[in-house]
Amino acid sequence: MTHALTSTDAITEAFRERGYIADRSIATAVFLGLQLGRPLLLEGEAGVGKTELAKVLAASLGTRLIRLQCYEGLDVNTAVYEWNYPRQMLEIRLLEARGQAEHATAHDIFGMEFLIKRPLLQALEAGNDGEPPVLLIDEIDRADEEFEAYLLEILSDFQVTVPEIGTIKADRPPRVILTSNRTREVHDALKRRCLYHWIDYPSAAKEFEIVQARVPAAPESLARAVVAFVHRLREADLTKVPGIAETLDWASALMALGAADLTPGLVDETLGVVLKYEEDIRQVRGDTVKAYLAEAAAGR
Amino acid sequence: MTHDPAIVPSGPRQAIDGHRLLARAVGFGRALRAAGLAVDLSSEIDFARALGVVDIGDREVVRAAGAAVFTRRRDDRPVYDRVFERYWRRRSLQPNLEAPGNEQRPEAVPSDEGTAQEGAMPGDERSDLPDDRQGIPIPTEGDADQDEAAPDVVTISPDAYSRSETMRHRDFDRMTAQELRDAERLVDLLEPKLELRRTRRYELHRHGRRLAPRAMFRQNLGNGGEILSWVWRRKVQRPRPLVVLCDISGSMERHSRLLLRFIQALSASSAVKTESFVFGTRLTRVTRLLRDRNRDRALANVADTVTDWAGGTRIGESFRDFNHRWARRTLRSSGVVIVVSDGWDRGDPRLVEIETARLRRNCHRLVWLNPLAGTPGYQPLAAGMRAAYPYIDDFLAAGTVASLERLGEILAGGRSADTRRGSEAAAQVAPSPNAVRTFSPPPRVARRPQDPFAAQPLR
Repeated sequence: MTHALTSTDAITEAFRERGYIADRSIATAVFLGLQLGRPLLLEGEAGVGKTELAKVLAASLGTRLIRLQCYEGLDVNTAVYEWNYPRQMLEIRLLEARGQAEHATAHDIFGMEFLIKRPLLQALEAGNDGEPPVLLIDEIDRADEEFEAYLLEILSDFQVTVPEIGTIKADRPPRVILTSNRTREVHDALKRRCLYHWIDYPSAAKEFEIVQARVPAAPESLARAVVAFVHRLREADLTKVPGIAETLDWASALMALGAADLTPGLVDETLGVVLKYEEDIRQVRGDTVKAYLAEAAAGR
Repeated sequence: MTHDPAIVPSGPRQAIDGHRLLARAVGFGRALRAAGLAVDLSSEIDFARALGVVDIGDREVVRAAGAAVFTRRRDDRPVYDRVFERYWRRRSLQPNLEAPGNEQRPEAVPSDEGTAQEGAMPGDERSDLPDDRQGIPIPTEGDADQDEAAPDVVTISPDAYSRSETMRHRDFDRMTAQELRDAERLVDLLEPKLELRRTRRYELHRHGRRLAPRAMFRQNLGNGGEILSWVWRRKVQRPRPLVVLCDISGSMERHSRLLLRFIQALSASSAVKTESFVFGTRLTRVTRLLRDRNRDRALANVADTVTDWAGGTRIGESFRDFNHRWARRTLRSSGVVIVVSDGWDRGDPRLVEIETARLRRNCHRLVWLNPLAGTPGYQPLAAGMRAAYPYIDDFLAAGTVASLERLGEILAGGRSADTRRGSEAAAQVAPSPNAVRTFSPPPRVARRPQDPFAAQPLR
């Protein structure tokens, strides 16, 4: 079932139904994005639920999610549109074969049917006959600056100019979510067109809620222990601290192993689910794990 | 900035309400701007619109809405929160905004609100402004005018250094204006020589070695689909980004100024992206400060911001800080890291070793400039230097203009990537720190010749 999402509370509620526990500030940012028709730029460490938010938003609105994964070298041809050249060639041959080649004009081979629509163009057009989609431009920091500059036109006017056809404008612009892992600073010109929200690691209480929502099979004591341990890890001096995604993976992994409680041996064996750098695992494994678990036990 | 905008005219009730919101939003935006955030008019308008749609009775929602509109990066948030606290005091928020019907006397706020005309602007905002500027510890361009009167580079330039360290070459601290210009010209010379990296983007090029089908089909549509001319493409090349980590501890003091000048000249160059950091006992990012067009003022700003001038050195901790907080953000496209340090370190050599190895793994090439290395018979024996040495690709003397010329050659990518010394060491988990290698400048090999078969399309 879909929601009208007409207030921050409605958003929080709709997200919660889909297993996404959003705090007020996220809900407010999303709400404003919808109300003001502005793209929302989400930044945060890896695995805090940036991409997930876009998926949940699309589900809550009951619309399509169109996703554009960015990478270095991403260009207009793969992101926006491309002419189907082989088909155009064939069309020319066909026209020749039928003896119509003399009467053919450019319009015959530069029509919409020869245009391959890539995610951005799809997103602009999808709103014309139905609910506008959610457009997720994922990891914009991986794209290069040339592409970022190109996005400016699309994100401010929601239109694309195809020289052979003309300007294609979205009647009902898509809801845009951009995410960035901050591997580089996104350009200010792009930021100026967006609302901005930094997603932080959640508090232990909230993360516990998330684990319960996402891994409902996990017993409460185990979920609490997992969250407490991950929170302790985030304070440690590690190359890469675990995100929410890792917490959830870990809880699922422990469930798969049939664990009822965290023991040092179990943690050592499954540490690779939470920590992704060899030196981090080496640093934590063994005594540190025991110490953390003892701390948690004492604090309970 | 001290005048109110004439933005609150009297008019129909509906309009007044909108104007009121706008005036509030503009006032808040101005307070944020004074505190150093990059706020423009469009975000103020957005904020006014936001106030129109969210529940303004809820302080946290208003705070979140403003944050979404006004902040652009994570570091903005603490500044924003501070200004928010100041500006939207609990009592002034609701009475002013919630009840447009109570126009007559909505300002339940104390008398400092002023007349009804400017009532929409909180009166205390102006008087608070100077406090704001003082209260927020982040130096910004907005504050630059305060620093106009700051003393010039004298703070950096030391006069009390140990005579015993004097070297034979003419050193930076005695550089004349002419020589400074030379150093800058050197950077200009260096620019076109910077090592290139192939990006993932293609450009059409006659000597490319790959076919460009799109362009080729396109071009040959005019021939009725018969491929008569071939089109080629190749990868776009860009200079690798540079990251400079400059030691400003006591032992490096007398070299700091010219090295900073050099970094500054590099930063000013548009051809290459340069990130610069200085470290003594802690790491400070100075990229933005060095971008100031007024070069002396930029150095003065650096001098003011950095708190650990001429103190001790903690190379290991500083590198760790860099590796954790900055490496991913600044070395994304495999940049070249230049460390400027004499390797005198008070910290744990083991940490220096671990962190240098990690730094080496994160970058394309690790260049170490050591002012002492120009001394004849120099050996990397200082604890920190010895720990870091196995991971360095290029170890160079710094201290004279001539040595910087050598740096230019290194940055131009004199050698092919697989002969690098540091890469092998960095790949090992626990190399022997005792292996002191004799120092000799790495041999230079001519730039790799172009692949002779590369540019020969089948015609």
